[in-house]
Amino acid sequence: MPSANPEVLPLRSSEDVVALRHAVRRRSIEVKLSLVDQTKLVTAASELGRNTVDYGGGGTVQIETVSNGARMGIRLIFEDHGPGIPDIELALRDGYTTGGGLGLGLGGARRLVNEFHIESTVGVGTRVLIARWR
Amino acid sequence: MERIPILKLGDVLLVSIQVDMHDRLAMALQDDVTNRVVKDRAKGVLIDISSLEMVDSFIGRMLGGIAKMTRALGAETVVVGMRPAVAITIVELGVALEHIHTALNVDQGLKQLRDLIAAGRDDDGHAQRQS
Amino acid sequence: MRLASQPGALNDLIATNNLLDQLGLHTLEVFQKSQDAVIRRQQAEMLELSTPVVKIWDGILVLPLIGTLDSARTQVVMENLLQAIVETESAVAIIDITGVPTVDTLVAQHLLKTVAATRLMGAQCVISGIRPQIAQTMVHLGVAFGDVVTKSSLADALAFAFRQRGILISRGPDRT
Repeated sequence: MPSANPEVLPLRSSEDVVALRHAVRRRSIEVKLSLVDQTKLVTAASELGRNTVDYGGGGTVQIETVSNGARMGIRLIFEDHGPGIPDIELALRDGYTTGGGLGLGLGGARRLVNEFHIESTVGVGTRVLIARWR
Repeated sequence: MERIPILKLGDVLLVSIQVDMHDRLAMALQDDVTNRVVKDRAKGVLIDISSLEMVDSFIGRMLGGIAKMTRALGAETVVVGMRPAVAITIVELGVALEHIHTALNVDQGLKQLRDLIAAGRDDDGHAQRQS
Repeated sequence: MRLASQPGALNDLIATNNLLDQLGLHTLEVFQKSQDAVIRRQQAEMLELSTPVVKIWDGILVLPLIGTLDSARTQVVMENLLQAIVETESAVAIIDITGVPTVDTLVAQHLLKTVAATRLMGAQCVISGIRPQIAQTMVHLGVAFGDVVTKSSLADALAFAFRQRGILISRGPDRT
């Protein structure tokens, strides 16, 4: 049975991140992404999902199967109302750490997807959109 | 919370990760392995990740952490069975795992552990006595 | 059939015509999709044929690359090599680029990523056929060849692979 389009999942615990991985894998298979592309998208989703839980104070992710006429793809939008990221450019650079010292991994996640957009306002929250196309 | 089982095979510990781990489970595994290395006086740890369809930066760091900690405790760790799609993704993601020993499968991994353990003994100049 | 005498018949006729048109369109779409699928499959097969991975010894694979490499082709080829390493359980893979005239930064990066991925999987990747010109280009482009084992000839790479596998080749008694 195909996934609902779109679906919104909570991101409040590390178990939610595991559920997100499964949902993304399921959709990737439906859309017939190659195995490597599936793995890249699931991994990027895991990274960003973890950020939402650990640094964003919890939030949600919207998963959608999309089509731009010729190609099918999967789009994810991560949203939280956490502290926000003061310097996005800095956060996108590899090896940048914040707070806990383990880094947001944004630069790495960006390399795994075709589309990557991020908006963040200190004191308001963060929104990250990623997409992977066939 | 369930824990990932650790089996003892002589002086080697075997860990086969078959489930999709959430972060807490991964951290628990790191604790369990290091505790067992001390408790069982293990000289080697073999971690089989051939069932894992995904390894992200957290799990990658956990594996690297196990390698470093066991080395500090006098044991070597070999990670076996990483899938091609996972390896390609880790390289693209940029997780630093250059320092870990790896092998294609359990057989080659155990052989590598034997060699590493023997080399460790040679470095001491004499065999360690299990007292 | 005289339409005037059967008022509902015209609607039925139009509906039937529409249905037939849709069926025709659907058939055409299905045909085109199956043609596209055939073309894609043939392209994939051609790609695989043109870059065969050769098992030259127990535990040693060779991938002889021929011709110009583009980013997309290199990626597919590298994925095939990694899959072959797993399937044959080969601990050493040699990528020979003797037959590749030029290597740009993008392709060089793919090669390096493949070497790194191979190591993570538990095998070793050697790059052979590095000509002085390519080596110079690499250095100028700032490509870090740090831990990568490179050899100028496939023969050297093979000798290296044998040493890694603990294989000794000795000459038999002189047959004169």
